[in-house]
Amino acid sequence: MDSLYILIPIAVVFCAVAIKLLLWAIDSGQYEDLDKEAWRILMDEEDTRPRERDQQD
Amino acid sequence: MLTRTDSERCYHCGEPVPPGTYFSAEIGGEARPMCCPGCQAVARLIAGSGLDSFYRLRTEPNDTAPPLPASNLYLAYDDPANTADFVTELEGELQRAQLLLGGISCAACTWLIEKALLANPAVRAANVNLSQQSLLVEFDRRRLPVSELFQLLLALGYDPHPWQLSESARLIETEQRAALRELAVAGLAMMQVGMFGIALHAGDIQGIALEYRSLMRWVSLLIASVVVFYSARSFFHNAWNNLRFGRLVMDVPVALAIGLAYVASAWATVRNDGEVYFDSIAMFTFFLLLGRYLERQVRRREYLRQTDLQSLLPVASLRREGDGWQTVATRSIRAGDELLLRAGDTIPADGVMLDGGGAVDEAAFTGEHLPRSIGPGEQVSAGTVLREGGGSMRVECDAASSRLATMLSMLTRAGDKPALARLADRVAARFVGVVLLVAAIVAAYWLQTDPSRALWITLSVLVVSCPCALALATPAALTAATAHLRRRGLLLVGEDSLEALLRCRRVIFDKTGTLTRGELRRRETRVAGELTEAEALALAAALEQQGRHPIAQAFADITPATGLQQVDVVAGRGIRGWLAGRQLAIGSPAFVAETCPQLPDPPQSPGHWIALADQQGPLAWFALEDSPRGDAAQTVQALKQRGLAVELLTGDPSDAGPELAAQLDLDAVRIGASPQDKLDHIRSLQAAGHPVAMVGDGLNDAPVLAAADCAFAVNQATDLAKSQADAILLGSSLGPLDDAFGMAVRCRKIIRQNMGWALAYNGLAVPLAAAGWVPPWAAAVGMSASSLLVVLNSLRLK
Repeated sequence: MDSLYILIPIAVVFCAVAIKLLLWAIDSGQYEDLDKEAWRILMDEEDTRPRERDQQD
Repeated sequence: MLTRTDSERCYHCGEPVPPGTYFSAEIGGEARPMCCPGCQAVARLIAGSGLDSFYRLRTEPNDTAPPLPASNLYLAYDDPANTADFVTELEGELQRAQLLLGGISCAACTWLIEKALLANPAVRAANVNLSQQSLLVEFDRRRLPVSELFQLLLALGYDPHPWQLSESARLIETEQRAALRELAVAGLAMMQVGMFGIALHAGDIQGIALEYRSLMRWVSLLIASVVVFYSARSFFHNAWNNLRFGRLVMDVPVALAIGLAYVASAWATVRNDGEVYFDSIAMFTFFLLLGRYLERQVRRREYLRQTDLQSLLPVASLRREGDGWQTVATRSIRAGDELLLRAGDTIPADGVMLDGGGAVDEAAFTGEHLPRSIGPGEQVSAGTVLREGGGSMRVECDAASSRLATMLSMLTRAGDKPALARLADRVAARFVGVVLLVAAIVAAYWLQTDPSRALWITLSVLVVSCPCALALATPAALTAATAHLRRRGLLLVGEDSLEALLRCRRVIFDKTGTLTRGELRRRETRVAGELTEAEALALAAALEQQGRHPIAQAFADITPATGLQQVDVVAGRGIRGWLAGRQLAIGSPAFVAETCPQLPDPPQSPGHWIALADQQGPLAWFALEDSPRGDAAQTVQALKQRGLAVELLTGDPSDAGPELAAQLDLDAVRIGASPQDKLDHIRSLQAAGHPVAMVGDGLNDAPVLAAADCAFAVNQATDLAKSQADAILLGSSLGPLDDAFGMAVRCRKIIRQNMGWALAYNGLAVPLAAAGWVPPWAAAVGMSASSLLVVLNSLRLK
């Protein structure tokens, strides 16, 4: 059980790193427009198709 | 030729295709019907750029595209002096422009705009923000002039405006980002503390070595401190600020609960006995912050679009400098300047016409949709639009004292809404009193009987009575109701709008653009000469096609006769031209009488009558009117069935108002009201104890919307009207209004159930805690379960 004295501080450090990362993401504006992000992955996929077709032509 | 059925809808905007028109565009290898040349041009451009997968991706139909203006209206923006507000220099050759875009309806629009802009080699980056409907674009203005950038966006069917973030909007952005940071910290900390919390609760039940319990408590204390001092500080702030003025609001018990639970738990950790509640603190803070964040997120979008005086006026104007005209920034215009006005211009200042004239659209002030004819010597106002004609004007006063500025200042005065004591705060006030009283009695009792347990039992009473569920009862229900109404096409902006709606027994509608569509349609055609109706209409359409007056819209669905020559458009009066050897005139009876002296008086039936005649005699009369929205009658009936009085309040002095009221079976009607009259009317109703809901669209409605207890703006409303509204209709239908009233009733019911449950829970738990019978794990589970129940109950609002 003594391992708790190492494992718990490690967990706290991970938590601090996660908070730091999340704050960085918020500050760099990645959460500004959540409406659009949900769609973007679909859009980009559609986008590549016509381009590939153009190259074949 | 294509054959069309009546039910056919425009593939671009979803509006019905007017019979007799044959606009189409090839999309995805098929010819698709289009309702107007504007949509056709946009659709062809999209398909021609290889972007037609847009039509498969989109989830909403587009707005009907305006026809492209013949000339580039944005040329003034090519002068960097006029764009300093919204175009900033980046390093290298690049500039960044901030624009607001009208007409963005779904995520596919953002894709289309970004792809279309990036296809231009002068554009380096383009980013459309869907929730703000804004565009950030980085480009090289030497290779792509700003005017062409605007023109490009217009050609795609979106209406670009320069975007200057106001100081208040900037502040809201910063606040919202700070709120998200607080929420993120609370969320991650909650998971971490919750993990230790489970271990500690398990330890309480099955036993745990004191040494490990102490370790976990200390780590929990560390993390919970971050939550209390960083994430929860706004609760302490609000509670203190309200307490100083003797107000007991919901934040007071919240701050009390968080503060006491934290102090008690920290004390227990230091002393290594008693109970800790760190997990409850983190969870409670997180859920409360989440509710507030979502609530503010809804309001943010509209705050960002708040309009100031400058954005209602054109960016640049033409001023006389010596012998010529010079493009200058509107804000540099002073009294005494002479300005050149062209058709389509927004008039930049109050003043008097020197020469020329035309038809000026003053809907902003009067709500009247037919333009007023003006000539030399007549007054014109800043913010109105010169639809036809042109000329020069002398500026008579500075922007700050214009009629428009006066109206805006009326807004600030009207902006103080009737104070609304929220149910939650009323309950909170009594709740705090009762809890403190009970705690005092418990402390006194235990000090007498068993002083060693007095502190812990008193603290457990205060913590168990933690109003988690009570504090969540209202925001959870409101958030669920807001989300549901948004899906039905109504965006709630004001936090109190649903509660305010419950008290309103009277709904007041504006006429033009709110109950009606705000565009003229033909109501009746009376043939007066030897022509058939179809021939007369074709002639009228050929003439009207030449003008920019709103009347021309009424003939847009007719295929015009060809061969018209020597056209003479007399601004604000009518149009003359030669066709097949005879002179034709269409317009007001007085104007047509100049061509055809024997013109009789117009028919006596209601409507706005215009005449078509040649030199020999009258050919036809057309009655024009603004038709009510498709579901206006239905919505009015539904509202009346709820026992609401429905009233019409319009600036239009004509008999169109009473007629519409009769048609829709309204309870009352008031016509010819100026913005001040409207405001006085609402005020007098409120003074007599009748809270009012107001539905409007125009600039002239904005002060009234600000004063009404609950204000709705329709989708096409001016930004200013929207910024004053508590709720915005997102589609063209009025139906969601009725949904909102229904939702308000159901929402109140759910809030009462939530409060009932929360109070019952506290009522049960407090006596048990006072007796010293509640173990901490049971208190924590009870608190979480009652909060969860409140959230789940609120989700029933669908």
